[in-house]
Amino acid sequence: MPDQLFTLHPIRTSKQGVQINIGKYHDEYDTMCNLVTMHPEDMRELRITANSSIRIRTADGEAVFKCQEGKVPRGMIFVPYGPPTCRLMGGNTDGTGMPTSKGWEVTVEPLE
Amino acid sequence: MGGKVSCTLGEVKNRADLIVYWGGNPAECHPRHFTKYSLMPKGRFVPNGRKDRTMILVDIRETASAKAADIFLQVRPAKDFEMITVLRALIKEQPVDTKLVAETGLTLEELTDFAQRLKKAKFGVFFFGMGLSMTRGKHMNSAALLTLAAELNAFTKFVAMPMRGHGNVTGGDVIMRWTTGYPFGVNLARGYPRFNPGEYSTIDLLIRGDTDAVLVLGADPGATMPQPAIDHMVRVPTIVLDPKVTHTSKIARVHITTAVTGISAPGTAYRMDEIPLPLKPPLKSPYPTDEEVIRRIYQAVAKKPPLMPPVRPKVPRV
Repeated sequence: MPDQLFTLHPIRTSKQGVQINIGKYHDEYDTMCNLVTMHPEDMRELRITANSSIRIRTADGEAVFKCQEGKVPRGMIFVPYGPPTCRLMGGNTDGTGMPTSKGWEVTVEPLE
Repeated sequence: MGGKVSCTLGEVKNRADLIVYWGGNPAECHPRHFTKYSLMPKGRFVPNGRKDRTMILVDIRETASAKAADIFLQVRPAKDFEMITVLRALIKEQPVDTKLVAETGLTLEELTDFAQRLKKAKFGVFFFGMGLSMTRGKHMNSAALLTLAAELNAFTKFVAMPMRGHGNVTGGDVIMRWTTGYPFGVNLARGYPRFNPGEYSTIDLLIRGDTDAVLVLGADPGATMPQPAIDHMVRVPTIVLDPKVTHTSKIARVHITTAVTGISAPGTAYRMDEIPLPLKPPLKSPYPTDEEVIRRIYQAVAKKPPLMPPVRPKVPRV
């Protein structure tokens, strides 16, 4: 059975904006950038428990995140931009100079 | 397509009675936007402030900004271009393809109501964010929305403005525009500017490995760019000017600590409506400003002998 595809949408949050001005080399910043939000039903289907680790893969790379449930549409995953999302981003800009930074197709694998 | 029908945020504050946020979450990313410019302030032609304004939010999910909206329209991911295309047809009372409408995740009634509100506004504004410009379609999505704003001027006054972030990115674009004629992706290697996104733009240059050195000024590409671009910055000499330790400064060969612009260094920052604002630093810093460091690097490079001898024009024999 093929892996279920989700779309991953990196976002910004005001907490992250505040933390950038305090410093990026803090545990708080790492925690923010490593925490994805999924729909509770999607998590149940994949047998992911709250605050457990998951591996997210795109065509260009993979990264490990912690997962929490939240009020987001089914099939979509949201995470603040940061070093982990850099590892998932492809370099193709389609001749625009701008890589596709949102709406990546990803697969999700529970690690716990 | 092309061109931007825009205005200042002061005009928005004093005149706008229809505010549309598209693909952005100002409640999280621009938390003072509602209160200072767009929704809450009482203006000359909107004397009752929020009561005189209607706010519509278009996004793929119900964000914190939806609480401030009068109408929330949940578009399917990467279907913004289709939605704008339908709206362009509806405002001109042209027939629309029902399949195209269904793709957007919205009903024809919702889009017709939206189109009517756009036309009936006295002064409308589109504020668009990265949800529009960084998803599939990219600049074509932005161009479509700018075209819709331009076309709405056949019925009323309508403008569009990108929700710029990261301090002074607008300043970077504005300065590049009036010095070279282009906003980004400019190559000056031949002594005159050449513009070609996809060829001379930063990420493309880094990923192809075209550069043998990188100077990073007031940015942290090590935490935002694709991994292959970061890998190239590790391979070549990278110099970073930044007040703080960042992911880029960690991978750089040289990190020069500079004063914080606006806090301990003077300068000019451009607001998202391209209005230049002078910055008056309240504190002093032991570190040099970015400008001072760049000037000293420039002077040191100018003293070095040229890499290649100057080309002398051939004088024909008489």
